[in-house]
Amino acid sequence: MFDILDGVLERARARGAREVEVYGERSTSRRLKVYRQEVEQLTAAQRQGVGVRVFREGAVGHAYGSDLTAAALDELVARAVDNAEVSDPDEFAVLPAPGGAPADVHPYDERLSAATDERRIELAMSVEAAALAADPRVKTVEDTMYADGDGEVFIASTAGVRGSYRSNQCYAFAYVLAEQDGQVETGYSYTVGRALEDLDPEGCGGEAAERAVRLLGAHKCPSMKVPVILDPFVSAAFFGVLSSALTADAVQKGRSLFAGREGQRVAGELLQLDDDGVRADGLDSAPFDGEGTPCRRTALIGGGILQGFLYDTYTARKAGRGSTGNGVRGGYAGLPSVRPTNLVVSGPVTPLADIVAGMERGVLVTDAMGIHSGANPVSGEFSVGISGILIEDGQLSAPVREVTLAGDIISMLTHVTALGDDARWVPGGSIFTPSVVIEGMAIGGT
Amino acid sequence: MHLASFDAGLLQATLRRALGHGGDFAEVYVEDRDSLGLRLEDGRIEATSGGRELGAAVRLLAGAHTFYAYSDAVDEAGLFAAAEAVAAAVRTGDSGPALVDLGAVRSDPGRHPVAVPPESVAVAPKALRVRAGDEAARAAGPEIVQVTVGYGDTRQRVLIANSLGDLVLDDRTRTRFTAQVVARRGDVIQTGHETVGGSAGFELVDEDIARGVAATAAEKAIIMLDSRPAPVGAMPVVLANGFGGTLFHEACGHGLEADAIAKGASVYAGKLGEVVAAPIVSAYDDGSLTNGWGSQAFDDEGVPTQKTLVIEEGRLTGYLYDRLRAREAGAAPTGNGRRQSFRHVPIPRMTTTYIAPGDALAADVIAATPKGFYAKSLAGGQVEPASGNFVFGVAEGYLIEGGRLTTPLRGATLVGNGIDILMKIDMIAGDFEVKTGICGKDGQGVPVGTGQSTLRIAEMTVGGTG
Repeated sequence: MFDILDGVLERARARGAREVEVYGERSTSRRLKVYRQEVEQLTAAQRQGVGVRVFREGAVGHAYGSDLTAAALDELVARAVDNAEVSDPDEFAVLPAPGGAPADVHPYDERLSAATDERRIELAMSVEAAALAADPRVKTVEDTMYADGDGEVFIASTAGVRGSYRSNQCYAFAYVLAEQDGQVETGYSYTVGRALEDLDPEGCGGEAAERAVRLLGAHKCPSMKVPVILDPFVSAAFFGVLSSALTADAVQKGRSLFAGREGQRVAGELLQLDDDGVRADGLDSAPFDGEGTPCRRTALIGGGILQGFLYDTYTARKAGRGSTGNGVRGGYAGLPSVRPTNLVVSGPVTPLADIVAGMERGVLVTDAMGIHSGANPVSGEFSVGISGILIEDGQLSAPVREVTLAGDIISMLTHVTALGDDARWVPGGSIFTPSVVIEGMAIGGT
Repeated sequence: MHLASFDAGLLQATLRRALGHGGDFAEVYVEDRDSLGLRLEDGRIEATSGGRELGAAVRLLAGAHTFYAYSDAVDEAGLFAAAEAVAAAVRTGDSGPALVDLGAVRSDPGRHPVAVPPESVAVAPKALRVRAGDEAARAAGPEIVQVTVGYGDTRQRVLIANSLGDLVLDDRTRTRFTAQVVARRGDVIQTGHETVGGSAGFELVDEDIARGVAATAAEKAIIMLDSRPAPVGAMPVVLANGFGGTLFHEACGHGLEADAIAKGASVYAGKLGEVVAAPIVSAYDDGSLTNGWGSQAFDDEGVPTQKTLVIEEGRLTGYLYDRLRAREAGAAPTGNGRRQSFRHVPIPRMTTTYIAPGDALAADVIAATPKGFYAKSLAGGQVEPASGNFVFGVAEGYLIEGGRLTTPLRGATLVGNGIDILMKIDMIAGDFEVKTGICGKDGQGVPVGTGQSTLRIAEMTVGGTG
């Protein structure tokens, strides 16, 4: 692949471009679904392509393609150069310089490469079987999926950036429907890792079933203002939306509710939020980001105080500081943009059972719908639909559904009063979080 | 590489290899997609980006099993490797059914006419539209603090061959223009969003349209600066035309997709012929709507798109099928087998889905509502087809008092259950309009249209912060 990258740099130089970066990707993946103990779908994929960025006095042109023949690469480079003509110059848009030694992380596990389709299928079947066996009220497992990926990325630039690494990951997922008296409720769970041996198929299937079954019989509850416990899945979804406001890109463009609040209290004192691109068990850990900058750990919120933001090369230069290694690419066709790697929520924990026992009245929120459409990352206001379990006199009682949870993100964060002892990885953004307890939330019901 | 001159013999040979170890349906999908994206933010056109992606997928069906392989290589080696990967996955040992020879290529050029092919226009004039949008949004008022304008065009050519002998070439051009505007007054920050898009060319984005879209987004943001938090509780809800169609898309459309039906994971399963909506409600999915953003001449399985009546005067009349689910159900495919790209397995998807217009005047619908919530623009939503529960955010809402729109309301979410809400529709106006969006399902995003006229739901839960 480096041959191709060097060929692209050479072509760009021949067209008069002096500052050029090329990113290449080559990967294979497997994805399978089982349904009623049969393989419903099996997908085998190969993917490769390159993306090239040309910097011309601060104006950036980008082009990408999957066809790596000489003629296609000629066209690719010509397009990138043409596109740079149209873009507006910006003094802060410069070709990233080499950022030092790559981080010492190895996001690749050889055991996964040895996995056979038989083993993958067996694993997915055991997820589904565990869900079906968990409770007689489980009607069906609508989705049981296993997926893995194994990819290499390459980067080279005229500034001397040059690197590559290989990574892999796998996960299984179950989405269960439970039924009782004509009412259907749903539940899901994941298990993630870098080898089949890391996954817990029985746990995943059983948990998905349990999450569906315990919502059976749910009704609306009255509107009220009570403490809520966001379970790790729901907490991860909130922190995922929130994290976009913690990027320097959002701050610099006036799209962040955290702009200008560095050093200020934005959350409950016990809350720590980090972006950690080098954590050994993090699925999004890597030696360097999509611009070749080494990955690292960056504190975002510590002791309830806003510590800082995430940066790529462009936003860092604009802010007069260094990149935090968060210039993330979504594949060869994408431009780098400021995004989190692995988000980690931590702090002093309390056993979840004690949290529930200490709550006179509240709601354990186990599902939230519409967080992406119902939460405004600019104003911080949100209103989402939730399902969960009522807590009365320190005990989990009746399930609730079709009610809303509303507030604004800063007051929600500042009202975080406890963290559970149940931290786990939630994929789809790679977030490690426990249950989070928030005081005084508005539940909208009957 | 041009799809129009692609070697049919190679496609036939690939199908034969795919069926080599069993299976009852094989298909090759070759895609050539050329895209351009321009984005202006902070008054600057940022990194302009374009690219061309080529790839091919081979799909093999064996009973209820789907085997799928794809790669970026569209030559013989790539196609045969994909065919062998799916063939190796079948373990029946039987040889496949007789392969029908590929017929002549079918295509339907001009079904969605393109007046100005985007590739015939240089990037610079497209950049001018984006700048015009920025200027128009900023002119809306001193409160405008941030403007993001996007322009995108795509030409996607697909060649689909299958073991039934179908050979289809579909040439799709899509163009879209979007504006997102942030307004600020003191500590209050609000956003407004507007978009135009279609299966059409650069003619869709003339300068007046570009300015109009951006100005509308800016006005929405400014109006919402005066908003107060939406109330909480159950009340009559009037949904405006256009963006209000998201309700039907979420509350009903996803539950009509035949994969959810087949798994019993939809509240609409087993209800054909039954009453699922108020008698004034009729609804369609129409993938053939001329120049529609969600339209194509053929779906991604080579089936011609069509207009499907899904609800007739309150009764459920049809589901949305791809080939696999149609085959299982003994129904005819409805042209709803769609995929995001060659990297995705086709699944049943909506195209342009809408509640048919009624006879009322939009103004009368509001006037007939003494107290309620008016949702002018929706921000997107989510549904659980199994339970029918849905939620969506309201980007622009108003209080209705004494039959008139009064205070703008922010932060509202509408929560409900599909059939329950459809049964409560009690007024439909005639001001039909379609809006564009990207719908996500199973990790695949496809362009869809959502439409409706102004309509009223007698009672619905509004979740606000006020």
